[in-house]
Amino acid sequence: MMRWLVRGAYGLVALIAFSTLAFAVFQPIKVLPRAGLGPGILLQDQEGRTLSSDTLRGKIVLYSFGFSRCETPCQGSQAVMQAVQRELQAGTGSVPVQLVTISFDPATDTPAVLRRMSAQAGADPAHWLFTTGEPRRLKYAIGGGFSVYYGANEEGSFDYDPAMVLIDGWGILRAEYRTPTPKIETVLRDVRLLVEEAQNSTGVARYAYEAAHLFLCYP
Amino acid sequence: MNNHTHLHIHPIERLWIIISFSMIGVFAVAVLTAGFAYGFQLPVPEDRIVDPNLVATPGATAFGEPGLRELSPGNMEARVLAQAWSFTPKEITIPVGTKVTFYVTTKDVQHGFHLEGSNINFMVLPGQISKLSTTFTTPGTYNFYCHEYCGVGHQTMYGQVIVTEK
Ligand SMILES: [Cu+2]
Repeated sequence: MMRWLVRGAYGLVALIAFSTLAFAVFQPIKVLPRAGLGPGILLQDQEGRTLSSDTLRGKIVLYSFGFSRCETPCQGSQAVMQAVQRELQAGTGSVPVQLVTISFDPATDTPAVLRRMSAQAGADPAHWLFTTGEPRRLKYAIGGGFSVYYGANEEGSFDYDPAMVLIDGWGILRAEYRTPTPKIETVLRDVRLLVEEAQNSTGVARYAYEAAHLFLCYP
Repeated sequence: MNNHTHLHIHPIERLWIIISFSMIGVFAVAVLTAGFAYGFQLPVPEDRIVDPNLVATPGATAFGEPGLRELSPGNMEARVLAQAWSFTPKEITIPVGTKVTFYVTTKDVQHGFHLEGSNINFMVLPGQISKLSTTFTTPGTYNFYCHEYCGVGHQTMYGQVIVTEK
């Protein structure tokens, strides 16, 4: 009796040890790290509609930043947004994904200007919104919340550190791309991973996803 | 040697000894596999990786013009570039009570960064950006210095954070 109990315990310990190791090494499920809580934001889109972090709950949101007179530093993120939009137009199943470009120049970028930016970028308003907001709120959300630096300079333009941010349906920050030319494949992969996680995180599979977070199964 | 002097181990005790030793074995295998089969890749988010050859080039990364910037009222970021054997900038002035996030990287060899009177203390590795936030609540002068021996000029790698009254 005692002997079988001890053998059973050996077996159990070995099973746990090997499955833990296999999970950590082979990473059967990959997740993006949870970097922190995204900021609360309040924006107006190109049609004057209000958009907030609350109304965006449940949606995966990819943010890019810029202003209408921005050229080189904004082109990289625009190409990425266009690529993700093409994927969204092909369909992502039941998980909604929203693209949001925030202009930090509300004085110039009125709804009419935002509509023009949207048209120039080839944005489909069903997937991709152009927004701006009240300057002080924007500063707290973009600068304080997303840690994305921008500031007016002497030439009447803006200094801006190119960045894009990916937020999940719970409002949690999942990826940041702090480069003038984010890699399209990387952003697409990350969006797909978040869609997959949201789709599969039901029932028992949810615990497998939580385990993937514990074992740092990062792509 | 007779049977009575034999060391007797209770089966459950033996079980625990074996578990402890197998754990050491499993961890050793995990570390070696991660190291040699996966090339010591630490799980670092995309935005914390930087090309050390480009890092000091203005425009290529935010370290091209290192220094202090305001993100939003009461919230600043300090980008510090380490190299053998100095930090840029050498002096950082912040108002008391401001949250400052330090981003530190190096363009050459491995350095360290320790800021007195704060929780900031990390290794500075080429290709990676170390990041930590702190808030100074008392005005004063706080030294920061390199604490990873990096060559003959190591002792000259230091600077100061000056915390001023609001
Ligand atoms: Cu050093």
